[in-house]
Amino acid sequence: MISYLKKADLPDLLQAWADKMDVLAPILEEGQISFTTWKGQPLDLSANALVSPAKIISPREEILFRYIQESGTYRFLRPDQKPRLIFGMRPCDLRALQVLDRIYGAPPPDQAYLDRRRSAVLAVLNCTNPGPGCFCAALGAGPDADEGYDLLFTDLGNGYLVESGSPAGIVLIKNSPDLLPAVSDLADSLLTDKGRVVGLCRDQVISSFPGMSVERIREGMESAEWERLGQICSYCAGCSFVCPVCHCFTIYDRGVPDGQRIRCADSCMTSGFSRLTSGSNPRPSQGDRLRNWYLDKFEYILARTGLAGCVGCGRCSQVCLSPDICLRSFLESLCSREMTTNKFADAGESKGEGKSIRK
Amino acid sequence: MQTIPTTCIYCGCGCGLMLHVEEGRVVAASPQINHPLSQGHLCLKGWLAYQFLDHPDRLRRPMIRKGERLVPSSWDQALDLARDELSTLLRESGPASLGVLTSAKASNEENFLLMKLARAGLKTNNVDHVARLCHAPTLAALSSALGSGSMTNPIVSLRKSDMILVAGSNTTEQHPLVAFHILQARKTGAEIVVVDPRRTAMARLADLHLAPLPGTDAAWINGLLRAILDLGLEDRQFIEARTEGFEEARAALDPYTPQMVEQVTNIPADDLVLAASKLGSANRAAFVYAMGITQHYWGTDNVQALANLALATGNVGRDGTGIYPLRGHQNVQGACDMGALPAYYSGYQPVSSSRSRFERAWKTDLPAEIGLTAVEMMDAAQAGRIKGMIISGENPMLSFPDQTQVRAALEELDFLLVVDIFPTETARLANVVLPAASFAEKEGTFTSTERRVQLARGAVSPPGEAWPEWRIWADLLTRFEVDCLYESAAQIMEEIASLTPSYGGISHSRLGTGGLVWPCPNHDHPGTPILHVDSFPIGRARFRPVEYKAPSEKPDEEYPFLLTTGRSLFQFHTGTMTRRVPLLEREVPEPFLDISPPDARQLGLKDGTYISVESRRGRLIARARVTPDVNPGHLFLPIHFLEGPANLLTSRYRDPISGMPALKEAAVRLRRL
Amino acid sequence: MDGREMRDYIPYQVEIVDIDRVTSDSYLISLQILDREVFRYRPGQFIMVSVFGLGECPISIASTPTRNTLQICIRRAGKITSGIMDSMIGDVLGVRGPCGNGFPLDFMKKDILIAGGGSGFATLRSLINFIADRREQFGNVAVAYGARTRQDLYFMQEYKGWQMAGIQVAVTVDVGDQGWTGNVGMVTSLLDRLEIPPGSAAICGPPVMINSVAARLMEKGFQLPDIFVSLERHMKCGVGKCEHCMIGPHHVCMEGPVFSYDRVRQYL
Repeated sequence: MISYLKKADLPDLLQAWADKMDVLAPILEEGQISFTTWKGQPLDLSANALVSPAKIISPREEILFRYIQESGTYRFLRPDQKPRLIFGMRPCDLRALQVLDRIYGAPPPDQAYLDRRRSAVLAVLNCTNPGPGCFCAALGAGPDADEGYDLLFTDLGNGYLVESGSPAGIVLIKNSPDLLPAVSDLADSLLTDKGRVVGLCRDQVISSFPGMSVERIREGMESAEWERLGQICSYCAGCSFVCPVCHCFTIYDRGVPDGQRIRCADSCMTSGFSRLTSGSNPRPSQGDRLRNWYLDKFEYILARTGLAGCVGCGRCSQVCLSPDICLRSFLESLCSREMTTNKFADAGESKGEGKSIRK
Repeated sequence: MQTIPTTCIYCGCGCGLMLHVEEGRVVAASPQINHPLSQGHLCLKGWLAYQFLDHPDRLRRPMIRKGERLVPSSWDQALDLARDELSTLLRESGPASLGVLTSAKASNEENFLLMKLARAGLKTNNVDHVARLCHAPTLAALSSALGSGSMTNPIVSLRKSDMILVAGSNTTEQHPLVAFHILQARKTGAEIVVVDPRRTAMARLADLHLAPLPGTDAAWINGLLRAILDLGLEDRQFIEARTEGFEEARAALDPYTPQMVEQVTNIPADDLVLAASKLGSANRAAFVYAMGITQHYWGTDNVQALANLALATGNVGRDGTGIYPLRGHQNVQGACDMGALPAYYSGYQPVSSSRSRFERAWKTDLPAEIGLTAVEMMDAAQAGRIKGMIISGENPMLSFPDQTQVRAALEELDFLLVVDIFPTETARLANVVLPAASFAEKEGTFTSTERRVQLARGAVSPPGEAWPEWRIWADLLTRFEVDCLYESAAQIMEEIASLTPSYGGISHSRLGTGGLVWPCPNHDHPGTPILHVDSFPIGRARFRPVEYKAPSEKPDEEYPFLLTTGRSLFQFHTGTMTRRVPLLEREVPEPFLDISPPDARQLGLKDGTYISVESRRGRLIARARVTPDVNPGHLFLPIHFLEGPANLLTSRYRDPISGMPALKEAAVRLRRL
Repeated sequence: MDGREMRDYIPYQVEIVDIDRVTSDSYLISLQILDREVFRYRPGQFIMVSVFGLGECPISIASTPTRNTLQICIRRAGKITSGIMDSMIGDVLGVRGPCGNGFPLDFMKKDILIAGGGSGFATLRSLINFIADRREQFGNVAVAYGARTRQDLYFMQEYKGWQMAGIQVAVTVDVGDQGWTGNVGMVTSLLDRLEIPPGSAAICGPPVMINSVAARLMEKGFQLPDIFVSLERHMKCGVGKCEHCMIGPHHVCMEGPVFSYDRVRQYL
């Protein structure tokens, strides 16, 4: 089912949804875009948020259950999930959720993830303004979505093409007939516009890293100097905290005799991640750990789920605390190797004035 | 879900932090993209800065000692008791019997109020804090050399440097965002020279690493300056136009030939000359330093020697130049700025000359006699001269030198009031313990090492009955009948601004992303990133001759190793917060002893074995970590661990000028278990 | 593997019904499940054991499913194992599982060599007692086991019973003492004293030991795919989601902990 929303009507549509559930949307706070609870604030859709909305579904910290001791034995309580609508998630983050769906959904399925996943309605926004470090298209993860959303919005200038992708999406369109009228007679021209807009964006993304693909990345991994990269790594683990696909977690308890068992994000970039209590460590150096992170994203998750474990969102490179070892540097060095008439300085030697800052 | 902007609570970098709140709990922290220093980055501690907030150990209720135990009580009871005990001591033993240690982790408003309570309420200038253990030499030396004891440039200024000297700073581990900018500078051509007895990560990433014997810094710094003069690379114009005392200082450099320096420090003469030529020929050179320079018996001399070097090469007052003392805590700079110092009010206004100003503002008499420093207070407590203390957000049982003495001192007190967020070894000795709100649970400003005043906003409520600390001091001020009526931290800042010229233009409403850099004298002033551009507060900067003198304790036959202590990237100071964060505690869960392979071999010591480390003061057990990064004869211990407190081994020797304990000068021996 | 507790992470409750000393610093703890009817498992599987308030960690099942009591063998190694060691009879712990694949007895040959080093022997006890209980289903069975010192040898009181069930048992220590008349040396040194026709092997111990025993067995004619190793990794979820236990692309908690040697040799 397709519809068209005039831009001026977006706040009213969000309000109609906010009356029924928690609406999370990209809002500018302290000069930075964050997905926060929408209460009428103006939206900022000019760039993707640094903290992915995938972290709403797979958060960095959540209570798995509470344990309450009563005369020696325990009672357990699981938290409830409240319904949410996430507006403005981009296709890269949607793809990340699809990867997580396959990982968390594999037997035995992860109840906490599924509860959050199933109670969230996804109103995805096709990307029309990628960041300089984005490479979603190289991985088939963007800049537009073709499935997995409840609603899909594409910015056509004065308004949005709105497409349903699920029964829940159809219901949402039907529930707001004034704001989201049926437009079947305009379908062809709207879809043509969408194709044009999306195509422009795709061209832009591809031009940042021409010819990039999972295969090229894997080739590059074969000859990467992992030990040298590991020596420069600052151990901040920001890459793994900000990546929408990264889902490694640890579990810890808080409280005796009553308390909470909490699941929190872990990072394979820390030495303790794989260290056994005996002290031995199958990945003893930071180079080993870096290599494992790449392998996991471009080999293991791909083999396991059919989808690459990277969606090309560029966030890891944005937060990397070390010079020139981030994924973006790696991709740039792969690109520069191909250019025989490369007039620019060796990528990885000097990148100019620091990292990209999303404006 | 909400996103609350604030500032990180750990080190002096003062990174911009976003706290993510879901259903009244902080569930994540992420970087502020537009922060002028941290620019969208954080270290591992920052990414996890929220995880200790709802730990079950958080202090939730006031507690009062009944015999052996601390039992819960009400705020009124606890505050009444504190007021009664302190006023009794004041009446019977006089203000000299009271002492106050403020918190370098509390906000500026809280430091100011506690300082005010000490002076206006308790009538004592015995107020100090842990700057005494880290940058007291910086305050002393740079105040006298430049007229201001603070970092001269913003950290991002390092991006414009041609050459950066990093001395006694394990920068990638202690100040990751400073290391970030240093390494970015290197990418665009800056040369990095690291001087550190250990081969730290920073040393490995540098262009040149000089490894002096610990405690010999004045010698190599003087040696560098002498070599620069011999090469004719000093900045004559700057010396003549902006300084005084050069000739006397120059004359004192005669003995410091490269050969002499090599003999004293072990730095090869050629390397010293090479470093000197890099430094002397740089257009813009910067001097970054930390505890390796200050935590010595002659710490003030060391800093003065560095200041001499910076002045002689004209590297003060321009972008890309400057002196960068890296302060350890967020908010130790603020605690100093707020006058939590025995001889100064806020803004470094001396007690000796500014007393009447504060008496007028606070409408009460104030004490004239300069107070004791933190370590002197411990001496006085042990001797029974100080009978009552307030210790806020500090853990002297772990952080002060000579732990045995600290315990004796605190146990000797008649009354001890401790305010903290977690129970500590110090709190366990208290008569009254009051629960405080953490950085994420209150409003207040924090001043980072680059003089950046930033606003921390509360993201969640404090646990149980915990109060923001400023409320505690405001309440006690009222109980001590000092005029005060604060309904918010913002109001306290108004008072601070009215009394502190450098903070004159600071108000909460003006503090957006990145805050403001003081001096900020009025409400239209944009702040002052670079100091000393045209002139120094004292007019001309002052050279002072520095002589290298032997450290307080050297290895001998009985105690043949030299021990330095320091930090790890993954833990913070006494571990009160970081040891309660699962990923951080997992990285470094126990005390380790760095020992060189030759030393380990000689002792038959294998990596991972537990070993007893002993000094004249005490002994502890640590796990050996055999590494070529320390030189033979040199051992290193981290300071974070209650079960292996490094300060059990350190001495009471103190820098005579600043009172700084010589924490990096302990002679130790090793014994197999 | 698909139990409710594997989906929502809420453990079943077990009560400690017996504690036996195995060595000076390890206990054999017998558990009774409180809120579940049956607990079926195979030798070589493990469970996630909770001490509520401290956390959860993976522990091999040390008992055989052919007998009634679920048992684990615990040594004080970290926070949670210390919590278990400090527990008493009557205390309630949590259990999730059984996790992992266990030894593939259907595919293993009838002649089996079992080799263990150190605390890994707890896993193998499950297999050995299973074989003892189903002795007629197996052929030539030998056990080679080594620990650091005599005091560290697990389950010494059971060796006689195994021998009486027709299982060869040879034991060694790294460091002998007065009164120890047995073998001193590595587990590989035992392999020549036992009758070991080429068949299947089950090895559990540190990687160095696994590699040296496997090499020796291959010299004796064992095929790589018939050598099974039980691997140890840091684990948290037990269900292949937290990613701690990965060895190459394999999750030790799901595809293991028992792997055929050819699959994991490159990672050891």
